[in-house]
Amino acid sequence: MMENLKAITKDELLNEGEKLLTGGAKFITAVCRDLGEQLEVTYFFSLKGGTEMYPLRYTVNKEEEVPSFSQITLATVLIENEMKEMFGLKVKDLALDFGGHLLLAQDSPVTPLLKTTGKTASKGGD
Amino acid sequence: MAARTTVPFGPQHPVLPEPIQLKITYEDEKVVEVVPAIGYGHRGIEKACELNEYTKNIYLCERICGICSYIHSVSVVEVTEKLWPVELPPRVKYLRTIWAEMSRTHSHLLWLGLLADAFGFESMFLQFWRIRERVLDLLEMTTGQRVIQSVNVVGGVRRDISPEQKKTCIETLNTVRKESEALIKVLTKDYTVKSRTIGKGVLTKEQALQLGCAGPTLRGSGVREDARLTKYDAYGELNYEPVVEEAGDSYARALVRARELFQAIDLQLEALAKLPEGEIAVRVRGNPPANEDVMRTEAPRGELFYYAKGNGTRNLERLKVRTPTFANIPSLLVMLPGCELADVPVIVLSIDPCISCTER
Repeated sequence: MMENLKAITKDELLNEGEKLLTGGAKFITAVCRDLGEQLEVTYFFSLKGGTEMYPLRYTVNKEEEVPSFSQITLATVLIENEMKEMFGLKVKDLALDFGGHLLLAQDSPVTPLLKTTGKTASKGGD
Repeated sequence: MAARTTVPFGPQHPVLPEPIQLKITYEDEKVVEVVPAIGYGHRGIEKACELNEYTKNIYLCERICGICSYIHSVSVVEVTEKLWPVELPPRVKYLRTIWAEMSRTHSHLLWLGLLADAFGFESMFLQFWRIRERVLDLLEMTTGQRVIQSVNVVGGVRRDISPEQKKTCIETLNTVRKESEALIKVLTKDYTVKSRTIGKGVLTKEQALQLGCAGPTLRGSGVREDARLTKYDAYGELNYEPVVEEAGDSYARALVRARELFQAIDLQLEALAKLPEGEIAVRVRGNPPANEDVMRTEAPRGELFYYAKGNGTRNLERLKVRTPTFANIPSLLVMLPGCELADVPVIVLSIDPCISCTER
């Protein structure tokens, strides 16, 4: 059971996260999970020398766009690119967008962490 | 205005044992922009962990990295144990702590050797790695393996440390301390090392927090943060205080690792002295319940984060691994701009990048 878990909407992410950072928190990571029709995204922050953890969680439909926390801190830029690649999470306004190729090669399966079988993208240059 | 040139640093480079690329744009030998590129060896281990029974995830996760294999093993086992939750015997907590600190000792010795090698101090590199072999000998003696120990199971550990082994551990650790002291004294006082690390790759306390850094990269910038403060395993019963340096440069990060090397030896000696009697495993029945939890441990390179979601079957629904290097890569986007091109290798090395972990 995770302590201090707070349910938010995707539109509250930037404000809620920024409040935590202003209060001295540090971003740890984000975790995405496939719920079928929806994706569940949890951003984890730590406080007090890492002894306390504050997760913020929202759920969105798979086709919805979500804001990027990398507009506030570059700490999230890699994990948000990863969630975009692995789950197809539609993250908009990434501070550094790897175009779906941070971890996956051009001929890798796309969105391999979705529960439905990942498709194979066409090879680059085709 | 001078012309700007972009060059690839890596994926193959003498200071990089593993592949990562930095696209470095420079002007008059000064770095102005850096874009990291990873993905050269991504293995899809998180996906594989969903397809395996939870007991087999230990086998996979301890192969995420050959240097911090042990701490991955502890993390995956303990995040799974938290789903029930499982109450561990005190001896298990101490044994896991001893092996985790042994792992930190050999990892920091490895890094100190790599640092020496980056300066061209090849004899010193070999000396650090010679000392490291003693620690690997201890791991082999107590767990049966030098690199991937495979000693953790859900509910406990497979091996115990006998009184004879305990005696050997204490003697060897004292030797490791003595030999390391002599080398580190030379390394940290050397003019070349100082001139190429002091004031190089500076990361302020505010930047380190803002960028979500971890481990010696974070503590070298004056932030007192360490997953061991959460008192997992036996850390709550040991005399532990995080090593912190204030300067935020490459030298400060090296000093944090050097001091942590001795602290890890002290923690092992203290844990060995306090090692309680008792069982080394408890029986865990059934499948991981439909529950979720996280486990945060302090790997040699910083906080290692595992998230697990069970669904009542033998397979976990989701296992997420966030490694310390993944958290520290964004710091290079701040450390490198403004530095001389010639300082890039040592600054990159100063975060102790582990790409094997990053490319889980």
